Amino acid sequence: MNITMVKKIKKDGSPCRKCADVLRQLEENDLIDRIDQIVVADERDPDSEGMLLARKYKVEQAPFFVVEKDSQSAKIYTVYFKFVKEILSEGVSEQQEIKEIMDQNTDLDYL
Amino acid sequence: MTAVTFDVAKLAGEYKDKTPSEILSLAIEHFENISISFSGAEDVVLIDMAVKIKPDIKVFSLDTGRLHPETYQFIEQVREHYNIKIDVMSPDSEQLETLIRDKGLYSFYNDGHQECCGIRKVMPLRRILSTLDAWITGQRQDQTPDTRSGIPAIQKDNTFSTDDRVLVKFNPLSLWTSQQVWQYIRNNDVPFNVLHSRGFASIGCEPCTRPILPNQHEREGRWWWEEATKKECGLHLDNIKK
Repeated sequence: MNITMVKKIKKDGSPCRKCADVLRQLEENDLIDRIDQIVVADERDPDSEGMLLARKYKVEQAPFFVVEKDSQSAKIYTVYFKFVKEILSEGVSEQQEIKEIMDQNTDLDYL
Repeated sequence: MTAVTFDVAKLAGEYKDKTPSEILSLAIEHFENISISFSGAEDVVLIDMAVKIKPDIKVFSLDTGRLHPETYQFIEQVREHYNIKIDVMSPDSEQLETLIRDKGLYSFYNDGHQECCGIRKVMPLRRILSTLDAWITGQRQDQTPDTRSGIPAIQKDNTFSTDDRVLVKFNPLSLWTSQQVWQYIRNNDVPFNVLHSRGFASIGCEPCTRPILPNQHEREGRWWWEEATKKECGLHLDNIKK
């Protein structure tokens, strides 16, 4: 299995807050070593590796994870807690899940 | 039919310019286990349209415990007017009691609204959605200041689907403007929340909602003490389209 994390650099050159948060969580939980490579989706560079992956897999948010279990197929995770639970087999609290759901679905709280 | 046999991508393309009633018909005809999310506001138009297709359409509302009295009265009015059952979802009492004990009744003014909304709204939403094959929302593109985030008429709900269960989400009003919604309400004598008559464009919980002034965006009536936007997760894919 090969795991790629794609993190974003914003148009103004600053790092994406959510990506930094996910990286921090991976490090704090000793999971960072299980990520095979981290590539950058630089919004200033359409040919950056991460932007190419985003285009290839039609992903519109960052960070995201590309999980390849064989050379034929890749599974994309845009929700960190799902990735942690399903691929890294780690426990996630309901509060963490809900927080991430709300971070990524900024219209949900308008329901 | 279940979500497994429903070709979301194909139908989303075919229905992207269809009317709300046509989208609702598709949804209701294809899914037996489907429910409308009703916020107690102008999304009542969905119920008005849906009962003409299926009089006993399922409807749910998220009762945060902090809604305006007028909204509770309106939900009850809608239940009686359309003679429908409404699943009113409540927050988990243990989670709520812990939040209030630790942070008080107005923690959202200091800590932001996410934690409170998570417990009072999103957790109950996830609970009801876990029982459904599809759901219908009143979300519209014109409600979002960030115009990059288009709301499709039909989509796979990637947030609440699981590996073994696909949830389909219908947004029949996605292309309608607020003006069209209100024209429908007036033309069809649809009941509406009296708070709208008092300047409330977007209606949520009482402590977190306020009337707006003319020409203010409706979202300015919600969580006005927070930063306008902290959204930065989107990838500007337009930049790389060639």
